[in-house]
Amino acid sequence: MPITTTRRRLLAGAAATLALPSFARAQGVKPRLTAISQWSAGSDGAAITALGKKFEEKGGIWQHSPVPGFTTEMMNKLRAQIIAGDPPACSQLKGPEIAAWSKIAPTVNLDSVVAAAGYEKVVAPDLAKLHKPGGKWIALPLQIYSTNMLFLSKRAMDKAKADKVPVTWADFNELAEKMKSGGVTYPIANGGTRPDDGQKFEASLAGISPTAYRAAIMNLDKKALEGPEVKAAFAQTRKIADWMDPNVGAQPFATNAKRFIDGDMGMMIQGGWAQGVLRNAGFKLEDFIITPGPSDNSKPVFLLNADAFIFWERKEPDLQAGQALMAKLVMDPAIQTMYSQITGSIPVRTDVDLSGEGWSDGQRRTAAALKDAVANNQAVLSLAHNMAQENGLTAAMIDVLTEYVKNKTIKPEQAATRLAEAVEGAR
Amino acid sequence: MTDTVAAVTRTARPTTSGVVGRLPEYLTIWVPLLLSAAHLISFSLWTIWISFTPSTLVPVTGWVGLRNYTSVLATRNWNIAFDNLLLFGSAFVLLSLVTGLMLAILLDQRIRGENTLRSIFLYPLAVSFVVTGTVWSWLLNPGLGIQKLVQDLGWTSFRFDWLVDRDMAIWTIVIAAIWQSSGFAMALFLAGLRSVDSDLIKAAQIDGAGPIRMYRRVILPTLWPITITVIVIQLQFAISTFDLVRALTNGGPGIATQLPALVVYDLMFQRGLLGRGAAAAVLMLLILLAVLLPYAAWRHLQRRRANHA
Repeated sequence: MPITTTRRRLLAGAAATLALPSFARAQGVKPRLTAISQWSAGSDGAAITALGKKFEEKGGIWQHSPVPGFTTEMMNKLRAQIIAGDPPACSQLKGPEIAAWSKIAPTVNLDSVVAAAGYEKVVAPDLAKLHKPGGKWIALPLQIYSTNMLFLSKRAMDKAKADKVPVTWADFNELAEKMKSGGVTYPIANGGTRPDDGQKFEASLAGISPTAYRAAIMNLDKKALEGPEVKAAFAQTRKIADWMDPNVGAQPFATNAKRFIDGDMGMMIQGGWAQGVLRNAGFKLEDFIITPGPSDNSKPVFLLNADAFIFWERKEPDLQAGQALMAKLVMDPAIQTMYSQITGSIPVRTDVDLSGEGWSDGQRRTAAALKDAVANNQAVLSLAHNMAQENGLTAAMIDVLTEYVKNKTIKPEQAATRLAEAVEGAR
Repeated sequence: MTDTVAAVTRTARPTTSGVVGRLPEYLTIWVPLLLSAAHLISFSLWTIWISFTPSTLVPVTGWVGLRNYTSVLATRNWNIAFDNLLLFGSAFVLLSLVTGLMLAILLDQRIRGENTLRSIFLYPLAVSFVVTGTVWSWLLNPGLGIQKLVQDLGWTSFRFDWLVDRDMAIWTIVIAAIWQSSGFAMALFLAGLRSVDSDLIKAAQIDGAGPIRMYRRVILPTLWPITITVIVIQLQFAISTFDLVRALTNGGPGIATQLPALVVYDLMFQRGLLGRGAAAAVLMLLILLAVLLPYAAWRHLQRRRANHA
């Protein structure tokens, strides 16, 4: 492509010219960071703006360009910038996409900064692996959600005359039946989006057997994909689907927030972000309970979803200084605390104390669940939120899951076969 | 007829001063035409090339033969999208044609307030498809829209839940698309109806033809070139439908209302599979050509016949 080459050369030239004065000033460069993310509004926007303020307090120049909308739109901008040879100093990216994208443009080796901060010891091992493809840290996780937290509506619990939170899937099913007979119209509050449907299945499978989840979904083992646990997970997903409001089209789960709080709907299987959504909608923390999702061995299972920043190689000294500063900030427990308190997530660091003010019981329970799950090797990567596989494979698998949730004529055995076929076809 | 032919031959042989004098005309026609043709052709060729490469996140060189095509054609997504396109395309074109024609005939009765009515029927065309899709997604949602309204009025057993019924959901897209574009068909047909030779109509009246017979035997047969145009324009719209489905059902429930354009976007930008996305785009282009080439051939034939006459 001759055009790209010329443009790249032109840009390199322009960058070199721009960089000259800073070379002249040598050490005394002012750290500068160019960053892109999709976080522009709501609690996400507020959190990254707060991070930017901290960056500026440390004497840096914060140049964040949010690309509102879907993650894909942010990726399109990133792709365009990379092809043009002008990537941002750092950008939002998560899960296996970090490894995939790191193949198309050079990234920054963060090993020394990470070692200096002693960060690796306090990060869940599966999560750490995602951010160091090829053994080198090139990206840093920022905050964590579990996608299988169980939200219980207090009013629905009252209607069901239940006071115990369900621990296993059997408990969960019993509670749903009780709610149904107690006058809760739809025991499960759900949205109709693809990740919503995917979450119901991944919560089922990980709750039935985290080992099978790891084999089937994370390692794509063909035998595990058609194994009894996957079929059982599809059967459980069908139960959940039967308790949902069939009238939900493609709306997000937030559409049902009011009916959930009112006790017209009973339970949600969602990530911690739902806490932020419910509070933003004006509901109180006393209106609902957050507890780890059902797990048949009674020990919490944590479906990891983590937002992260990847750092792209830049020659300009001010951008390099900015990257070093940003890396330090992202790993800082105080910054992670500030960030998670705004968004409703939990810190990546497992050594942050959540007993203080500013944290909700739900967040404390989520953090405790992560610790337990890591200790018991029950922390796995979320499929529905693009943590377990690259986007192409994820989408092919979610196709099967979302069709299964919506089409009640598909049998669990059939669905398991289709899932294995979809994996085969997308590989 | 001979007069016009003579006029054409006279202007076709311009003098030097004529060329200079017509320079602005050439510039305004040829420069944009060549630019857009170059754009269209170069990007199409580029997409075709990409469809044979192993490109994923970014375009790369290499050759994988027909692998991208075979893998796209093997997916459930594409097969569902293709079946949907056949159903949606034919239902939408046929129904918008009939609705547009009926509206045009009714408006043609020299009624009062014709201008107002015409604007009303044309107005949906001015609304973007995203808006149409969103509004209809509320109207058709069983828990919010028409079904709830009728049930609240007292007919509690009334059901109209096509939007969440995976067998019927594709028809909601047909409904919204017809609402949006039958005004366009109406406008073309109305122009056709108004240009029917009044001598013909008078002659038919003298022969004692009633209104129904007049339309069937005299007026409608003169409309068929317009009908073909409407069909082709609506078909190419149907093939490239994207924003409407995206706002109305987003391909759901499940993947029941996938359409080819959604699949292309999904592969290229959501799944990061540029090569397969390009292959799907080329398949779409082939479907379009299957509509446009016969049309072009037909136009060519028409012109030759006209020249002979």
